[in-house]
Amino acid sequence: MISQTIDKTALITLVGSPNAGKTTLFNNLSGRNFKTVNYPGATVEYSVSPLLSKFNLNANLLDSPGIISLTPHSPDEELAVSSLFSHPVFGVPDLLIVAVDVSQLSRHLFLVKQLQQCNFRIVVALTMTDILNKKGFNVSPEKLSEELNCDVIKIDGRTGKGITELIDVASKNLENFKQKGETKLIPFPGHDNEQLIESYKEIETICDKVISELPGKNEQINLRRANARLSILNPDPVVKRNCYQIDKRTIKIDRILLHKVWGLIIFFLIMALTFTSIFWVAQPVMDFVSNIFGFMADEALVILGQNWFGDFVSTGLITGVGSVMVFVPQIMILFLILGLLEDSGYLARGAMLIDRPLSKIGLNGKSFVPMLSGFACAIPAMMAARTIPNKRERFLTIFIIPLLSCSARLPIYALLLAFLFPGNNAWIAGLVLAGIYIFSIANSVIIAAIINKFSKRIINQDDSSSFILELPAYRTPKAKVVYNNMITSAKSYLKKAGPVILVLSVAIWLLTYFPDYSPKVETQNHTRDEIVQLQNAERLSNSYAADMGKLIQPVMKPIGMDWRVGVSLIAAFTAREVFVSSLALIFKVTGDGETLQNSMLHAMQDAKIEDTGQKLFTPATIAGLIVFFLFALQCLSTVAVSRKETGSWRIPVLQLIIFTSLAYVLTFITVNGLRALGIA
Amino acid sequence: MKTASQLQYGEKVKIDNIDCTHPSSRRIIEIGFTPGQEIELVNKSVFNDPLAFSVRGTVIAIRKNEADCIQIK
Repeated sequence: MISQTIDKTALITLVGSPNAGKTTLFNNLSGRNFKTVNYPGATVEYSVSPLLSKFNLNANLLDSPGIISLTPHSPDEELAVSSLFSHPVFGVPDLLIVAVDVSQLSRHLFLVKQLQQCNFRIVVALTMTDILNKKGFNVSPEKLSEELNCDVIKIDGRTGKGITELIDVASKNLENFKQKGETKLIPFPGHDNEQLIESYKEIETICDKVISELPGKNEQINLRRANARLSILNPDPVVKRNCYQIDKRTIKIDRILLHKVWGLIIFFLIMALTFTSIFWVAQPVMDFVSNIFGFMADEALVILGQNWFGDFVSTGLITGVGSVMVFVPQIMILFLILGLLEDSGYLARGAMLIDRPLSKIGLNGKSFVPMLSGFACAIPAMMAARTIPNKRERFLTIFIIPLLSCSARLPIYALLLAFLFPGNNAWIAGLVLAGIYIFSIANSVIIAAIINKFSKRIINQDDSSSFILELPAYRTPKAKVVYNNMITSAKSYLKKAGPVILVLSVAIWLLTYFPDYSPKVETQNHTRDEIVQLQNAERLSNSYAADMGKLIQPVMKPIGMDWRVGVSLIAAFTAREVFVSSLALIFKVTGDGETLQNSMLHAMQDAKIEDTGQKLFTPATIAGLIVFFLFALQCLSTVAVSRKETGSWRIPVLQLIIFTSLAYVLTFITVNGLRALGIA
Repeated sequence: MKTASQLQYGEKVKIDNIDCTHPSSRRIIEIGFTPGQEIELVNKSVFNDPLAFSVRGTVIAIRKNEADCIQIK
């Protein structure tokens, strides 16, 4: 027989119940060079990585989302199960490595059994054996291997023990299977409740065979185990299966974190700390980034000269992109905290804590994580809503997510508030910002409650509500997992927002620079700088953008703004963060030796409404703008994702109309109300 | 018939039966609540709902209404 010289890179998929130690195992095997891929058509992110070269096996490792069984109950599980059978990018896996937490062996073998029924080729990786040992029990991989008729390896994610062995075994399995030829996967035959109970009974007999007491442990355990066996005959005594005892420390911590008073206080403290650190911790880093781009914009003008090309590079490219890059630190901090909360186990408690209040307004405790992610970006947040099994609750969660203040609105609020409270009053800006966040939460809750009342018309879905969630044992978050999570989120954010911002920056630059790109102005008695400024003003007022702006002037006037803000607001409908870069372009902001933000503030202070000579940016109009951004749905990607996640245009169109008209009306009321009160 | 939602803190009991007419019964079984299993109410959420039970080596939070389909002796 001729040996095959060209091997197809094998695909190994990591499978497991949630919290089985899958991610740790993935990190052990994959090193740093992993990447996440979007599932085409939908967008659950899958991490995939070639195995570390030290393992000497040419294979790709795919991390799949945790599942409990092969019968999906929510859209995310549906996707996880179907892509297990055939992943749209990577195809059918050659081998599954199933992570099984031995401290809850019976629950995790439940999935293994179902996978075997579908003809999957599997290797079982036993995790958390140290926890089982501490309880005085041991598991025999050999016996389990016999019972399951597949290879079983003990591993320790923290020390890396057993990992090499696992890969060796996986490699042998792949080799074996190649010789045997393909087996056909069969779809999981849906089991009824009786069969499920039967399946658990089989698993319990297996568990009894493979778990044994550690020698030398106290007699009491032996006694209890004897009792446990006897209790099959004797129904009276309550069985103590010590090997299934749960982490006492976790229960104690939960007594506090789920406490009627303390639980709520700690919950609000954690939320408050999360949001304040987004601002205060990120600020120095943001100033740094802002400085760099201000400097680059200045240098570009110096190097390339005051011509169209210099202006294009300086304002079109550097300022446009820089004004958005500035808030990458904030996004990273938000994802860092989210990662810490998730990996420590607190997120599940948060969801449990607010399940009851949320269910009163038609949401679910599982709306908690999507809503929290909504403060970073509505797109991953809407996708996170897939974990909600009930369709009505999922749609309602998706509906209100755009009202939560996403990070794209941060640079806008930051700019507007810095204008309102300059210099020493920065702490007031911080407080007001916190207020804006609380206000956005209140809005989403109120609107959810209103829609829930009239939901039959807006969201016509009905099925039974449910909240079933595992509360994993508390543990110290793993640095690598949290770090990877943060970097991946920031990267995917930049990938999504970056191109849009770049294209729009260039488009707005073109619209504001042409057709009168070299206007004639009075040059006598003017300094060089003044001439440049006059030229800029002249060019802009004759530009295409100005022509377009005049069309929307009638709409902008009632809310106290002019066409320049109007153009920026329209540009912001593609993505909110474009508002800042667009303002920067329209007001011809260059660094001028300052940070980007400071020179923008100066430009805004000088801006006047053309026909009346009134100041354009006053406390009233700034407050109005903030209100506008609180409500308006200005993000094309959000609309697209909302369409995808809800399966029709109904909800995104309603969101667009309701939120944007609400924004306009409330801005009108704010601006004119403040003016009536004597606040210009 | 007593159900798991009526348990007191720390009370350990064996599951007698699962009410299969409940819409969540399937997931309840899949996650490990089967007849004969010992469960314990380990925690309650702030508003006494959902409830957290220990079962098969882990803690599962379910709503009171779902705990009602777990019949105990």
